[in-house]
Amino acid sequence: MLNKRIVITGIGVISPIGIGKDKYWQSLFEGKSGIKPITLFDVSGLKVRTGGEISNFNPKEILGDSNLRTLDRATLLLASSTKLAIDDAKLEINKENNRQIGVSVGTTFGSLNSISEFDKASVTDGPRYVNPSVFPNTVFNSPASQLSIRFHIKGFNTTISSGMCAGLDAIDYARDFLYRGRAKTIICGAVEEFCIQTFLGFYKLNYLAGLKNNSEPVSCPFDKRRNGIVFSEGATTLMLESLDDASFRKTKIYTEILGIGSYFDPYRLTKYNPEGKGMKQAMHLALKDAGLSPQDIGCVFANANSTQDADKFETQAVKDVFGSYADKIPIVAVKSMLGETFSTGGGLAVIAAIGGINNGFIPPTINYKKKDLGLDLDYVPNKARKFNINTAMVNTFGQNGWNKSLIIGRRKK
Amino acid sequence: MSDFKKRRIVVTGLGIISSIGIGKDAFWKNAIAGKSGISEITTFDTSGYLVHKGGQIKDFSTEEFIDKRKLKYVGRASQLAVAAAKLALEDAKLSRSYLSRHNAGVNMGTTMGETQWIEEIDTVWATSGSEKVRIEPIYEYPPYALTSNVAMEFKLTGPNFIFTTACAAGNYAIGYAYDLLQAGKADLMLAGGSDALSRIAFTGFSRLAAVAPEKCQPFDKNRKGMMVGEGAAVLVLETLENALKRKASIYAEILGYGLSCDDYSMMITIEEGMRFAMGEAIKESGIDKNEVDYISAHGTGTPQNDKEECAAVRNVFGERAKEIPLTSLKSMLGHTMGAASAIEALACCLTVKDDIIPPTINYETPDPECNLDHVPNTGRKQKINIALNNAYAFGSNNSCLVIKKYDERSQ
Repeated sequence: MLNKRIVITGIGVISPIGIGKDKYWQSLFEGKSGIKPITLFDVSGLKVRTGGEISNFNPKEILGDSNLRTLDRATLLLASSTKLAIDDAKLEINKENNRQIGVSVGTTFGSLNSISEFDKASVTDGPRYVNPSVFPNTVFNSPASQLSIRFHIKGFNTTISSGMCAGLDAIDYARDFLYRGRAKTIICGAVEEFCIQTFLGFYKLNYLAGLKNNSEPVSCPFDKRRNGIVFSEGATTLMLESLDDASFRKTKIYTEILGIGSYFDPYRLTKYNPEGKGMKQAMHLALKDAGLSPQDIGCVFANANSTQDADKFETQAVKDVFGSYADKIPIVAVKSMLGETFSTGGGLAVIAAIGGINNGFIPPTINYKKKDLGLDLDYVPNKARKFNINTAMVNTFGQNGWNKSLIIGRRKK
Repeated sequence: MSDFKKRRIVVTGLGIISSIGIGKDAFWKNAIAGKSGISEITTFDTSGYLVHKGGQIKDFSTEEFIDKRKLKYVGRASQLAVAAAKLALEDAKLSRSYLSRHNAGVNMGTTMGETQWIEEIDTVWATSGSEKVRIEPIYEYPPYALTSNVAMEFKLTGPNFIFTTACAAGNYAIGYAYDLLQAGKADLMLAGGSDALSRIAFTGFSRLAAVAPEKCQPFDKNRKGMMVGEGAAVLVLETLENALKRKASIYAEILGYGLSCDDYSMMITIEEGMRFAMGEAIKESGIDKNEVDYISAHGTGTPQNDKEECAAVRNVFGERAKEIPLTSLKSMLGHTMGAASAIEALACCLTVKDDIIPPTINYETPDPECNLDHVPNTGRKQKINIALNNAYAFGSNNSCLVIKKYDERSQ
């Protein structure tokens, strides 16, 4: 039934500013930056040497010692965030219910390191000498499928790879599956890992902050100094179920998913449409889906990632959609603290929004120093604000056409 | 569920690029005739391997479908996808202006994404260093390039999902397109799958000794494994209401689907999940299992898969299993990865429309562990009303799509 209400009942997060929801929310409140020197691979000859690496990630602490050896970093990150979410939701997985639990994951570059290292070994060592035990990691759905193996989940298992919108796409898909009763509980994840392949890719495309002349390697969304993304990683898992099921099992409910809007803007594969048509449509459609008007939204968690176009076009799109209310609504870019995590960006923003709604604060846009012409909304610069919000909009806008907005809110009585 | 069932979803266009034919007519003629698409691989050097054959498409001229200037950066999986989409739209008699006036979207499935771009990057990196890697492939290697390129080409602003659920991905894409249409989230969807011949997949499967040297022999006692192939298929799906309004010709109706995953192994699919997926698909479709007339098997030709799949079919259908034709197109095409289930779904549409079953070729010796009606070596004329399309994948993912002959009298 389309009128089924869908709620979030469990949270797991592994991020550069904290592992676990409480640590994550605390860091957001403190305006902490997760950007630090890169240690996972050699960057000594490169112009950019910092990123959002999760330096204190020890999967054994979360997952135990067994069966971790052949798993790649993306899989370990996602398995860890999922373990935290399952525990948080107090979800017992057993033979009676495991066919009714589904998995929906957004990841785009998650398996790239495994794919590329396997392939490079076949080039240098010869195809008959590759390590067959890492071959299963070379499919994009391996992080998701390893969740089924590790946690004995036997419902559907789906991976979506749409880039920056993949995290929200996975939620959208999960919501439809709950509507249709294809599962009773859905583990909805997103993951990207910090790897040299993706890093060098964006480096070569000149997409990273700190590459252009006299520019700073800093994530400063909406700031005049913005000059590219800071590469980052993370994993998020949300437990989704219907309000009826959650109420029945008397579990705590964080927020309700109120609306989702999507629009594909077939402009260019590598550029945002300057008219922001897709961004505006996605926000409009999310409001329509939620049955809300702009004034009902307490805060916008922006897609803004410290690139020239994304931040400018989003600001203009928010002005167009929210009209005279745009000046009054806080618009924050948590990527100022987290960097750009691609598929995980939506999940990290949703969990930030849940923290804001449940704990009464709006996280800041840090590194904000210099105002840019026309970028003049309330970005909550540098310092979190204690403020009660009931609803939040999360935006993810891909450079490749995808636009997706999601609205969550305190559960309506 | 009843809310969704108000809208019937039909297939009104078919587009395919395969090793046995470009376009549905050539493909179907050769599939019925049991033609093999297996040949020596020339896409990459196979001299370092113990096996050398695969389902490479050798007579596909990209320029017919895509602006030549774009070929420098648009990868082969996207080329195949765009070409298949173009054929499907032509077949459905849909113009670009019609698409621009409607909420049309695209779902695609893929296993390897733009594998040939990744391989070019890896080769240059491994032999000459990362600084020598070209820029263009970096832009276009992420898997989202597939649906992005299709949507950009035909200016589709509706739902856009790229499923990377490995070798069952086509069924996931078609299934979710069906969901989106039933929920009223789109007027029309292109849905299918695409994969280019992948050195990475070829390396992995041959290292596991899972690749047959000469031919793919699903269900045969002496089957020696799968064969890596390539291809793309795109189906046009729309609501029956929309199809009737624009007087489209209808191939088939989609009744529903089922998905499941097992917790057994990344690389091995097992009977339990296959059985469950078929059960869910039958249940969702609101049919009785005795109404199933035909099953398009996943049928990879590996000892494990075919045995498990036949066991699952036996367990779902009991005594009647022997009477239900269970065939594998992979005997002709090899395993086209994320495209496989889309190509097989396309074939199912033609089977229910034409009442013809394509054979399982290379079938010589019955295997007591399989031994169902595999329609060996010669196609068969037989009335088929309801077909199941099975597809399984790495990660123990299982899927089953239900396709029915379109009957204008039924409600």
